[in-house]
Amino acid sequence: MSGADAGAGTAEDAPDAESGPSLGYERHTTVIARTVVRVTVPIILLTAVALLLQGHNQPGGGFIGAVLTATAFVLVYVVFGQAYLQSDLLGLDTADDTHRAVEYYRWLFTAGLVVALASGLVPLAFGFPFLTQAVAMLEGLPLYGHMEVASAFAFDLGVYFTVVGGLLTVLGEVGTE
Amino acid sequence: MASPVVVAPILVALATAVLTLVTRFDARAQRATSVLGGVAYFAVVAVLFDRVVLSGPTVVPYYVSNWPAPYGITLVADALSAFMLGLAAVVGLAAVVFGSTYVDEFGQRLSYHPLFHFMMAGVSGAFLTGDLFNLFVWFEVMLMSSYVLVLFYSGREHTRAALNYVVLNLLASAVMLVAIGGLYATTGTLNMADMARRLADPAAYGVELAPTLGLASLLLAVFALKAGVVPFHFWVPAAYRAAPAPVTAVLAGVVKKVGVYAIIRLFFTVFAGGAYANTATFAYVGPILALMAGASIVYGGVGAVGRDDVDGLLAFSSVGQVGFIVLPLGVGMAAPDLTVAFAGAERTLAALGVAAALVYAFNHALAKSLLFLASGTLHATVGTTRLDRLGGLAARTPLVAASFLLGGLSLIGVPPLVGFFGKLLVFRTATEAMAGGTPGAGVALAVALGGAVLTIAYVTRAWNAVFWGEPSETVRTVLPERWRGVGAGGDAATDGGTNGGGSDATDRALAVQVTTLVALALCIVGFGVGVEFVVDAAAHAAHAATDTQGYVSAVFDPATQPGGEGGGH
Repeated sequence: MSGADAGAGTAEDAPDAESGPSLGYERHTTVIARTVVRVTVPIILLTAVALLLQGHNQPGGGFIGAVLTATAFVLVYVVFGQAYLQSDLLGLDTADDTHRAVEYYRWLFTAGLVVALASGLVPLAFGFPFLTQAVAMLEGLPLYGHMEVASAFAFDLGVYFTVVGGLLTVLGEVGTE
Repeated sequence: MASPVVVAPILVALATAVLTLVTRFDARAQRATSVLGGVAYFAVVAVLFDRVVLSGPTVVPYYVSNWPAPYGITLVADALSAFMLGLAAVVGLAAVVFGSTYVDEFGQRLSYHPLFHFMMAGVSGAFLTGDLFNLFVWFEVMLMSSYVLVLFYSGREHTRAALNYVVLNLLASAVMLVAIGGLYATTGTLNMADMARRLADPAAYGVELAPTLGLASLLLAVFALKAGVVPFHFWVPAAYRAAPAPVTAVLAGVVKKVGVYAIIRLFFTVFAGGAYANTATFAYVGPILALMAGASIVYGGVGAVGRDDVDGLLAFSSVGQVGFIVLPLGVGMAAPDLTVAFAGAERTLAALGVAAALVYAFNHALAKSLLFLASGTLHATVGTTRLDRLGGLAARTPLVAASFLLGGLSLIGVPPLVGFFGKLLVFRTATEAMAGGTPGAGVALAVALGGAVLTIAYVTRAWNAVFWGEPSETVRTVLPERWRGVGAGGDAATDGGTNGGGSDATDRALAVQVTTLVALALCIVGFGVGVEFVVDAAAHAAHAATDTQGYVSAVFDPATQPGGEGGGH
């Protein structure tokens, strides 16, 4: 179900638009808000990924990227609603009106911690102290020419997942109440 | 080459926390991971203790990320850190075993295990770090987890207690951050060894000394709040009563000691470098510490005598007992260079004061966590810890009663338990200071003696009201006959009290809890009989704490420092 054919623009007096199979976000938000969110969310996500990728030696990093990503989710939650995000974007079953996505956010949080801790432990296996990082310079690549691969990115990625998972779990839990 | 054994306690605690999150879907796997993590933590701390203390006291630096000091974060394991870690490992292991049966199934799955181990990671990091800002970070790791654990039951009074606790600690964290920022601006470094080096020779590094005294006293206030010393004690009773028993055991036994450790590390190791310290910092901070300690002893003692439930009594007693821990620090600062013969060597009074504080802290950690856990078992069996509703439990639960008695006696300081030697060293510090003509040492001694009498009063009162005499109405209803869960293989006839029904699972859970209590009680007796071990370790730790020179030279030892180019290998 796309939700676009639920009588856009007509203010029906349905009791509670949140419940039931109808997604009903048309009744709560304006066309302007929806359009702006449609345009900005991809930009926000792209910026978040850019910040994540350059974070190990330029302004940015896992944390700020994750906060931006969570902002994108918040915009979708506020403007399109929980049901739309779960059924249309994440493909979850929302039949019984539970906030199933929160369980996935929790796992994201756990996975992030695992990645971050593991990235710190790897250097121990090579006889270096905890969290030691390495950098590899790749030369002569097509298109890029020169690229820097830093092991710190693995830690940043862990931080990213942890913060996205953590923030969304909090938002999801509080939002459901 | 850096030895990973230094960082191992932090890593084991962190890994356990993460693994208990991963095994969240299976309650048994999660519990097993958590307990195994506690055992592993104990094991790595034992290895570290052996490395740093037993095989010749050494200071082992660890350069995280392979960055040389003072640019990167340095962890430093010396005898003081190892002593505190040992204390944390014993109490942590007992609490994690106890908690795996005490906290209800839902609570365990929800968040109990990860939070508990994150708290242990924070504690270990605080004990090991050699970097002032990193100390702040580990404090926060520890506090974040403890916030949720204090709020664990989420009732009305729990929320109120947690709100107090959170707001106060956030304020303290803000103050700590300001103080650290100020110290960085003044001394130009965050590395503790580097700071000690600069403060010892301010002219060579262009350090302005005057502001550091004020910033140091800001830090003192923060650490006093963490330790729960009067006048920063007011969050203690409510928070300790709100948290689940195993968490309270760790809060009172270990987390409080992080504040004490920070005072020792910063004031005796970092701010005490060189001639400057003894004339300014010690002379200024010593009397304040002694005054706060004396006030704690009196306030906690009197408060505990007046409580009408076991939890409240123990919480107030914690305030008083921390006074006993801090008192020798203050007295030791008053005449730091006085020479005394102690633990087979000529040592300074400052070292004796630190050793007394450490032995007392060890005793308090064992005894108070035992008593809080016993109080938790009373909650689980009888459903209340109010003194007027309990009575005669000695006949019903003799093992709990015996453990409680041993814990109480150790708190009072009856030989041959550890508590006796702790009190003895505290008194010894005061009498040596008095003999050396330190003004006010006599008052400190008198306050300590008065506090000891108060301790006898409230421990006796608790024991009489809870375990002695005829069983009360409540006890007769919930425990009609003697509970024989332990040793009888869990087939005892017992009514599980609040847990509802004397099921096998409840019996097993109680058996585990009682076994933990007995094990802790045996520790108190064992360490009391073999007190040489504890006192020697404390003497080594005190030496490490007061030996600024050794600390600095170990951290900046060119043989262990990573290459100057830093992390990018």
